[in-house]
Amino acid sequence: MNAPPLSKTSPVTGSALLTNAVGLHARPSVKLTQLAKTFSSVISVATDAAGPWIDAKSPVKIMRVKAPKGTTLYFEASGDDAADAIVALVDLVERRFDEADGDDHG
Amino acid sequence: MANVGIVIVSHSEKVAEGAADMVRQMVGDAVPLAFTGGNSEGGLGTDVGRIMEAIDRAWSDAGVAVLVDLGGAETNTEMAIEMIDETKQQRIVICNAPIVEGAVIAATEASGGSPLDIVKQTAEELSPQ
Amino acid sequence: MVMDVALKKALIEDCAKVITAHADELTSLDQAIGDGDHGVNMKRGFESLLADADALAARPLPDMLKAIGTQLVMKVGGASGPLYGTLFLSLAKEIGEAPNTENARAAFASAIEAVKARGKSEVGQKTMLDVLAPVLAAWDNRAGLAAHLSETARQAADATIPMKAIRGRASFLGDRSIGHMDPGARSSSLLIATIAKHFGA
Repeated sequence: MNAPPLSKTSPVTGSALLTNAVGLHARPSVKLTQLAKTFSSVISVATDAAGPWIDAKSPVKIMRVKAPKGTTLYFEASGDDAADAIVALVDLVERRFDEADGDDHG
Repeated sequence: MANVGIVIVSHSEKVAEGAADMVRQMVGDAVPLAFTGGNSEGGLGTDVGRIMEAIDRAWSDAGVAVLVDLGGAETNTEMAIEMIDETKQQRIVICNAPIVEGAVIAATEASGGSPLDIVKQTAEELSPQ
Repeated sequence: MVMDVALKKALIEDCAKVITAHADELTSLDQAIGDGDHGVNMKRGFESLLADADALAARPLPDMLKAIGTQLVMKVGGASGPLYGTLFLSLAKEIGEAPNTENARAAFASAIEAVKARGKSEVGQKTMLDVLAPVLAAWDNRAGLAAHLSETARQAADATIPMKAIRGRASFLGDRSIGHMDPGARSSSLLIATIAKHFGA
């Protein structure tokens, strides 16, 4: 993969390990897309640093990722609030989506 | 601008209520939400008057997206929309999506402030193309 | 012609009477191929029209038809409420205050299209359309038109007996829907015959 040309708006990236029991299931997916939508930047998610990249604001696409616990989520954001977006999204994953972990497979 | 409202119309009141519970728990309170299920005698079915009331309860100036289950629910929802004030009619859409998943996805999209056509489009991404 | 209040009231009363008198028959037809609520639902709807007959008849014809359609949607329920409601609401839009037979025919034609769209159904699928469409087709300029349409409706309802249902709950029965008259076709033919009587049939 060729490196993209550097520009003043080069994307901000970040990553976080999924440690909540159910991984990126329905409820965490909703929270992730809801949070992503609060930023104006274009935000993508992937389960591999090489992609494929998925629109973090699309609840249907994010729910289809079905990443299990132990997966690393990679984020990439471009736009005025890209840095804030990456910080917030990484924080959400590291907070385990504020889910009470248990046998709940929601 | 207010968020798009979501209305759930099932033949069964329990299904409608359960789907609404899922929306509330998963998406939160940022979207107006109403549900209706069952006919006026408390049996399985849908009722035009009740659908109109549900649309009214979930009304938002940004519009309302309706999720329906089986055929009669769609027919009666179309009927209800036609009987609602004409200025509101073009701001009410029926999403061609499975009722439970569609309601959650539509509400998720709506909670981010997306306009009605995007809410409908996102819910319909769930259906096989 | 301008329909006077007395005629409009008589039409509402007689339609309500014929539906009430045949409610059990409609129910048993619906029990054979549907969910068995057509008689009860139609009776409830038409009784509510009867209760309002004076107020309804006092309105101009389009307003009266619109109010009837709205009331049938709300009170009949089931699948038939929206279908009959759509029929009357569409008639209301097209018919005008003083229709001649040609205006009435044109309004009936667009009402049938509205019912098709509402039910997503076509002629030949064992529904009320299998009475409404033949009646429209038989609607010409002959003397004794009302009697002709009344008889056409009766025969068309009978002709639904050998049909196989493709729309509605009856369609789940497939071939087992054959051999029973469609309840919606029956109620349509009863109403058409009742209305025709007031126009010389």
